[in-house]
Amino acid sequence: MLCNSINLDNCIKCSDCNAVCPVSIVYPAYPGPKNLGPELERLRLEGISCDTDWIEYCLNCYRCNLVCPNQVDISGMINMAKAHHKKPLIRKMRDFWFSRPWLLGRLLTIMPRLTNLMLNIRPVRLLMSRLLKISSNRIFPIYIDSDINVPIHDVPKSDSVIFFLGCSIRYNQPDLGRKVVLFLQRIGIKSVNIFSGCCGLPALANGDIKEARVRARSNTEYLIKDVLAGSFVVAACTSCGHMLKTCFDGLLDEDSDMKHKVQKIAKSTFDFGEFLMSRSDLFLFDNNISSSNLRIAYHAPCHQISQGIGRPWFHLLKRIPNLQIEDLDAGCCGMSGTFGFKEEKYKISMDIGQRLFDSIRDVNPQMVVTECATCRMQIEHGVKIKTIHPAELLLDLISAKT
Amino acid sequence: MENYHFDLIVIGAGMSGMTAVITALNQGLRVGIVNTGFGLFVFGSGCIENCQTLHKEAPENFNKAIDLFLENARLAECPFYGSINEIRYLPTIMGGFQAVSFAPFYLWKGNASESIRSAVVGINGVSSFNADYTAERLNYTAKFNDFKTNYVAKEINLSIKPKSVASMLQFANRFDFDSRFYDELQEALKPISREADLIIIPGIFGLRSKFQKIYDFEHELDCNLCELSNIPPSIPGLRLFNVLIAHLRKNGAEFFSGFSVKNLEIKNGHCQTIEVDIPARSLCIDFDSIILATGQFSKSLIGLDFFDVDEWLRPITKSGTVIADNLYAIGDLLRNVGGNDNRHSILTGYRAGMSIVERR
Ligand SMILES: Cc1cc2nc3c(=O)[nH]c(=O)nc-3n(C[C@H](O)[C@H](O)[C@H](O)COP(=O)(O)OP(=O)(O)OC[C@H]3O[C@@H](n4cnc5c(N)ncnc54)[C@H](O)[C@@H]3O)c2cc1C
Ligand code: SF4
Ligand code: SF4
Repeated sequence: MLCNSINLDNCIKCSDCNAVCPVSIVYPAYPGPKNLGPELERLRLEGISCDTDWIEYCLNCYRCNLVCPNQVDISGMINMAKAHHKKPLIRKMRDFWFSRPWLLGRLLTIMPRLTNLMLNIRPVRLLMSRLLKISSNRIFPIYIDSDINVPIHDVPKSDSVIFFLGCSIRYNQPDLGRKVVLFLQRIGIKSVNIFSGCCGLPALANGDIKEARVRARSNTEYLIKDVLAGSFVVAACTSCGHMLKTCFDGLLDEDSDMKHKVQKIAKSTFDFGEFLMSRSDLFLFDNNISSSNLRIAYHAPCHQISQGIGRPWFHLLKRIPNLQIEDLDAGCCGMSGTFGFKEEKYKISMDIGQRLFDSIRDVNPQMVVTECATCRMQIEHGVKIKTIHPAELLLDLISAKT
Repeated sequence: MENYHFDLIVIGAGMSGMTAVITALNQGLRVGIVNTGFGLFVFGSGCIENCQTLHKEAPENFNKAIDLFLENARLAECPFYGSINEIRYLPTIMGGFQAVSFAPFYLWKGNASESIRSAVVGINGVSSFNADYTAERLNYTAKFNDFKTNYVAKEINLSIKPKSVASMLQFANRFDFDSRFYDELQEALKPISREADLIIIPGIFGLRSKFQKIYDFEHELDCNLCELSNIPPSIPGLRLFNVLIAHLRKNGAEFFSGFSVKNLEIKNGHCQTIEVDIPARSLCIDFDSIILATGQFSKSLIGLDFFDVDEWLRPITKSGTVIADNLYAIGDLLRNVGGNDNRHSILTGYRAGMSIVERR
């Protein structure tokens, strides 16, 4: 997040960013990244108010940043502008909860059975759509109250990894979390610590910059000791990874000490697939992956692409003998975390996803794999096809180190 | 920690970088590409300018380079037409003509030498294209050059999405994904197609649509089409970029898009690794060979020593020393150096790709 004037002056008004923005493509009324980013930023910097509802329609997908020939941090500017955006009360209430998946998770897992039943019955959904503007077309993920109960051995001198769980794995897919820890142990990392804070990205995307700062600070304070001692932070959620690597810097720029900590954490953070790819010394790459006759399709989430790490999971899965895998290469899924849940944005979210849905139907795989939990939700909603995290597939096919 | 390793890394995905990738993939190499932005595709329509002088300089290489490029464009579902010995004058949006030997199918039919009636079609509300002005200029320039085509300006009305402004980008996106828009455009052009032999229209046929869809549209309309590149970003240019990238990916090229290379590490006359400027830390990529296809407008990655290239297209210093034995330079990047005239993107892309194969 480089909201400085040098970055701003880099904009040559070429409009290349507008040509790739998923929202602009399906919804031409959206003013587009060039306008909402560098154009308005000039006025914002001069203290001129230019708040607009459109600012909420940015998915935070980073695709504009990636295509800009001059490295303008367009989505960073839009994220910061969201903080000053005024919303009507109902949307403010809704976005309060959407900004705090950790709080929502804690409350909804007090009586998970009842919660899951309630959240998915029609009248309750209609009520939520009325009262909170949450789309009644969406199905809520199942909430599960469970600890990641894997015996964790702290082996001195072994590589140490902090597994950054993230809210979605913690409250909706603890089983995936368990598998990731098992995976790490199986390939030879004995010391795995689990950290279950919220990365703060939902707050940033919903314009709650205060909450995003609180999350960023508490994550930093928690992680820094182990990171300084040499631990790596590994995230299996691409949005958590993206947040830890790119966004804390702009949120916690108050003093140089904090800046130093934040940069150290960013440098030590790895996407799970990236971590595995970079560790040829680990056991994974011996000839011990069983074969699979599955025909699958891979979808690269926006926040995986924004990390600039190539396609680690695509390459890891390619090592599975006999597996047929195709990269869908069909753009943004349109879900963008909580965006797709919002009543007024549901249609846009589905329209954006259409290209991906069509491409899945064309390829006609037996299942789809993708790293991001909300992409998985969107794909299952749009195409009714089983969609899992790639680690789940690979874990089943690697045997334990003897 | 292990890095990515490729037989060849290409920096830049403009026309020259893409041709180098095509050549190397065709020879079975494992290729990675690091690129930012769309390159000069944002300005153009993808036509290949008058080839005759180049052909005479390097006839054998040139034929092979062009054949390989055309074959891949066809496989990417954006076929080109033309031949090395042909020069065809195609209209531009500014009302001039450019001499080309090959052009993508959507542009090729705009041949100014034919004595036909052409309708130059503008769209009501789109401020970036003035059909009257373009037609007037085309008639003037045609007369001056003794071309036979006659140009008449026409205007069509197209619906726009609520609360939006009419732009070619909006229409192109709708052409890609909205079948009602496809029909609407058919209906709007129908009356013009009855009176004209050729319809000239600024970039509108989508950012992702492939040959079959545009061909079907033309066939249904029963009138030849010529789609000009509009003011940047050029719709046909971006479409060509998108289909070529998708084709190269399908064929195994690994793209690292959106991040620039900030450093080349050259030690003892050998380029060992590149550092890509990704979030949080650099991504290091290892390779056996590397091609710079960074164009004429980007910051040089090899500094001021770069004076010219040798016969393999490796950068050399003023005294003739090779800067790195596995480093090659192609395309518009060569505009800035030496007395080298031979900077044609497709030819140099091909030659560097082949140099690497031969020197392996
Ligand atoms: C307005 C205009 C119209 C033209 N029309 C035609 C035409 O009709 N027909 C024709 O034959 N020729 C035309 N040309 C010329 C033609 O476009 C160029 O010769 C050709 O496209 C150059 O291709 P290139 O691959 O060398 O460079 P470019 O297309 O400039 O590509 C270079 C790429 O490298 C990337 N890059 C640079 N540095 C880095 C880095 N450090 N890390 C990562 N990526 C990097 C850039 O972002 C860019 O994407 C035109 C040129 C202009 C300016
Ligand atoms: S792509 Fe970058 S330089 Fe071009 S208009 Fe957008 S922000 Fe400006
Ligand atoms: S981040 Fe994505 S949705 Fe937001 S302006 Fe950029 S491209 Fe559009």
